[in-house]
Amino acid sequence: MMILTGKTLLSAMRPPYPYGTEFVQQFLFMLRLCWLPLLISTVAFGYGAPGLQAGNALIIFGAVDRLGGFFVLASIREFAPFVTAIILAGVGGTAITADLGARKIREELDALQVLGVDPIKNLVVPRFLALMIVTGLFNIFAMIFGIFGGVLATLTFDAPLGPFFATLLTNATTTDLWGSVLKTTLFGAIIAIVSCYKGMTASGGAEGVGKAVNQGVVVEFLGIFAFNYVFTQTLLATHPEISVIK
Amino acid sequence: MGSSWLDVPRDWMASLGDIAKFSWRVVAEVFDGRALRFFGETLRQAGILILGSAVVIWGMAFILGLTCGIEAAYFNRALGAPAYAGFFGAWCELREVLPYAFGYMMSAKVGTGLVAEIGAMRISDEIDALEVMGISSLTFLCSTRLLAAWMVLPFMYIAAVGAGFFASYLAVVEQIGEVSSGGYFLIFWMFQNPPDLLYSTIKGMAMATVIVLVGCYYGYTAGGGPVGVGTATAKSMVLNTVLVHVVGMLGTQVFWGTNPRAPIGG
Repeated sequence: MMILTGKTLLSAMRPPYPYGTEFVQQFLFMLRLCWLPLLISTVAFGYGAPGLQAGNALIIFGAVDRLGGFFVLASIREFAPFVTAIILAGVGGTAITADLGARKIREELDALQVLGVDPIKNLVVPRFLALMIVTGLFNIFAMIFGIFGGVLATLTFDAPLGPFFATLLTNATTTDLWGSVLKTTLFGAIIAIVSCYKGMTASGGAEGVGKAVNQGVVVEFLGIFAFNYVFTQTLLATHPEISVIK
Repeated sequence: MGSSWLDVPRDWMASLGDIAKFSWRVVAEVFDGRALRFFGETLRQAGILILGSAVVIWGMAFILGLTCGIEAAYFNRALGAPAYAGFFGAWCELREVLPYAFGYMMSAKVGTGLVAEIGAMRISDEIDALEVMGISSLTFLCSTRLLAAWMVLPFMYIAAVGAGFFASYLAVVEQIGEVSSGGYFLIFWMFQNPPDLLYSTIKGMAMATVIVLVGCYYGYTAGGGPVGVGTATAKSMVLNTVLVHVVGMLGTQVFWGTNPRAPIGG
């Protein structure tokens, strides 16, 4: 997998660049596939976990207007990247593995190599780049709808929306935003590499492709969360100012 | 290549009724005892669940417990109450994150695994062979797996809760180290009670049931050669991730929606 990462990075840098069209196609494919699952999931997550639970705790303190501030921590720093990664791995990553796995089983990849077309440059690199960019952008989408879930929760508590947005905006920092986007972009890289690797090494007939998808998604989830832990830890420890509640 | 923006919802609409009907039959066959005729197969499936998935699920719960723990420590330090990290840990984990962790890993490991396995049987005509031999394939393949999941998963879930608690203890007390072990546990246990564990388990089990049923459905109806199995696996994952979130939200709304059940305030 590491070798594949290295090869992908190298051949992404080195000319020629024949992957433009494939890149656009993959990009749109991911957008079409993921927008609805991501929308439903982020609204549901934002309403349930941080919205209702944290709102309940804050109501006890009589400070439900602080819910906006909590959403910076909850939605922007943790859960939006989290849910984006889950959906992109579960929806986009599995689709890539199934697609490449199917090509491997039908020996299309070997045929490409015989024709002198480098499968890494023409198949893996565009997917890798598209998934990285799409994951980063979808993170913003997820934040917006996660916060919409928070708005719904605020309305459930019959609280006014003004203070929600006021505390949200005073607590949000640029560091939070770029940290979150950087994190999801790297998640996208993990997802793309694992699913391409599992797809291209699928074997064993009918059960093989399904097995590849299964293993791929398990490895992606574990990789994402282990990486997330390290990243959050580093970000919070190196930027103490972002965890100050204003 | 997906042709339209509305492919995913249209697909769900088309298969929703089928999935409901299929699920109803599988559940009915568990309850009228027909699945018990294949109790040996049920036990075998339970064994596969334990050996194949337990470690991964606990691992996931452990990692998410660590994340919850550091967020708890930093958030409560920012509030000026680092000693209360246990409160954030208890709610974050038991009520929200552990059911989600369980649901994610179930859908990734068990859900797609079921599709791959049953789908391969469908493609190589083994399911038809079962029918020819006079064995009801639905009972033998799907109901036994559902029964096995119900037998094993509550215990696996509670063990995962344990793994998550241990991880957040490690993160808060051993790693960040701003609260003593005793102080952490005092707050931690004060902010949860047995009904919370019960509700959390119900949430996890609801997710698991949905995932097993969706996985069986997509596997049982797979078609179109080896490629079809891969596509069905991917599709089941799409539906499962969304359903996990919806079940999680409904669970929170029903169990803790208006009543936070905390030992403070009035």
